[in-house]
Amino acid sequence: MRTLDWIVLLSSLISIVAYGLYRSRGSSTVDRYLLAGRTMPWYAMGLSIMATQASAITFISTTGQSYTDGMRFVQAYFGLPIAMVVVCATVVPAFHHARVFTAYEYLEKRFDSKTRTLASLIFLAQRGLSAGLTIYAPAIVLSVLLGWPERVTTTLMGATVISYTVMGGIKAVTWSDVQQMGVILLGLVVALITVFVLLPHSVSIGDAVYLAGAAGRLNAVTTNFAWNDQFNLWSGLFGSTFLFLSYFGCDQSQVQRYLTGKSVSESRIGLLFNAVAKIPMQFFVLFIGAMVFVFYLFNSPPLLFQRVELERIQASPDYAAIEQDYQRGVEHRRQAALNLARAHREGAADRSADPTLVTEYRAAEREVDTARTKAAALVPRMGGEEGFRDTNYIFLSFVIRYLPPGLVGLVIAVVFAATMSASSGEINSLATVTVIDLYRRYVRPKASDHHQVIAARWATLFWGVYAVAFAGWGKRLGSLIVAVNVVGSLFYGSLLGCFVIAFALKKVRGTATFIGMIAGEAAIFWAFLHGGISYLWFNVIGCAVVVGVALLVTAVWPERTDQPAGA
Amino acid sequence: MPAPREPIDDPPPFLGTWRRVYGAVLLYLAALIGLLAVFTHAYR
Repeated sequence: MRTLDWIVLLSSLISIVAYGLYRSRGSSTVDRYLLAGRTMPWYAMGLSIMATQASAITFISTTGQSYTDGMRFVQAYFGLPIAMVVVCATVVPAFHHARVFTAYEYLEKRFDSKTRTLASLIFLAQRGLSAGLTIYAPAIVLSVLLGWPERVTTTLMGATVISYTVMGGIKAVTWSDVQQMGVILLGLVVALITVFVLLPHSVSIGDAVYLAGAAGRLNAVTTNFAWNDQFNLWSGLFGSTFLFLSYFGCDQSQVQRYLTGKSVSESRIGLLFNAVAKIPMQFFVLFIGAMVFVFYLFNSPPLLFQRVELERIQASPDYAAIEQDYQRGVEHRRQAALNLARAHREGAADRSADPTLVTEYRAAEREVDTARTKAAALVPRMGGEEGFRDTNYIFLSFVIRYLPPGLVGLVIAVVFAATMSASSGEINSLATVTVIDLYRRYVRPKASDHHQVIAARWATLFWGVYAVAFAGWGKRLGSLIVAVNVVGSLFYGSLLGCFVIAFALKKVRGTATFIGMIAGEAAIFWAFLHGGISYLWFNVIGCAVVVGVALLVTAVWPERTDQPAGA
Repeated sequence: MPAPREPIDDPPPFLGTWRRVYGAVLLYLAALIGLLAVFTHAYR
């Protein structure tokens, strides 16, 4: 990174923190500290929700995902608008009218304290695990690409997040999210324009899109169905609807965003804004990855983008042959791409030439892909990571190598912004659940407002330090980082089942729901351990088992009418 | 301490009812999937 990059990076970070703190003045009561006094406008909520969802690793991975696998990942968001409509129609008014701080507080009003506590603990376990990984995952990428020590990166990001989250509470989190979202969008637009500018003069934007499509990188909708296929139209419409219902209906890191709304309408519009904007945004990010793929058709890409692992496999006796095959494949592909682009431009004159050229182009692409697969397989054989994939390194490696000074700093600022927005939301929600659902419920039920604010600040500091410490320990977790999304899905299904019962099945009461949740968790873990099912389906399975078992228990063993506290 | 404000449940700022707004969002999703399917087919 050059001086200009540092100036852009540091000024972006400082302005984000300063703006967040400026907008958070007066967060002196627990209602203001944790829920911004329920005064937030819809656009701040909507942008904050989007920013919290977009962690750095999602952003880095998504571009790499479309480079290697095409744009079909966008289908994982098809369930989002459906889930948003359901959440707006049911959950949002219920939570607002119940005047709760957390989603789990509502469960005690509806069921009993043990169901609330179990749900809170499931949330703390799941979100606590991902809080550390949210900071660690981009740190490892920056460490490999820029040579920055992981501990320095995690500490810098962690300290920044902790400072404004502890001081300003949810208001600082939300307003800094708004600015972070601005940095992210600016960075994305600039990155796409730069990719287009860097294409060879003989290749137009139309040619580039055509070449990406011919290589199968613009497969935004795929209708083939398989249980173990993560991204297709069906898993997107059904599996991801359940995932987003869980995320927005039961995960405090999202619920807390829309509880800050000054009215039910503001919260609903904030969520519906997310429903409308998210798919185009993901499409845009994936499209950048597809265009980076086209860029590398004409600029020889490294055999592996992760340079540490590339250096490692160079010691293997098989490396030279793989590298030779790869370079040959890259040259074939470049020539085939140029021929195809030319034919595409002159397409009207000689359309019949295309099929042969497309076949040639795809064969060359397979050559390149085969060499890369062989190189990736060498990594564990040479003592590297098992199941190695370098998807996360593709986009940033391109940025660092090809973007002009200033823009590199801007894209690194995007990575920092995305990390901080996701992390601050997590830390803030973990602190809220700790204080409201555990501390205030069991330790100090009569604590003063001031005492609760102090407790919330300490809890925020605790979870922030925990996240940084956990991130420092992250290296030892190895491939668990890859599985962070899967880990989330291990817990969401049973939480969703619990809330489905709370809103839709009035006859089912606390004990039956509690037993259903335990059975739901057991079913999800059974499905996970036996493999063969995409993680998006875990939410469906967990939810169905919780509801089914709770209904069965209610039928066999009807409970007397409970009178839960606070009902 | 002032009594907590009751949450306001206003009608939406456009389309008159929330039911219509939800319908519009779902129609938008269907149109978006349709557009993406056309995009996929056009560049296959």
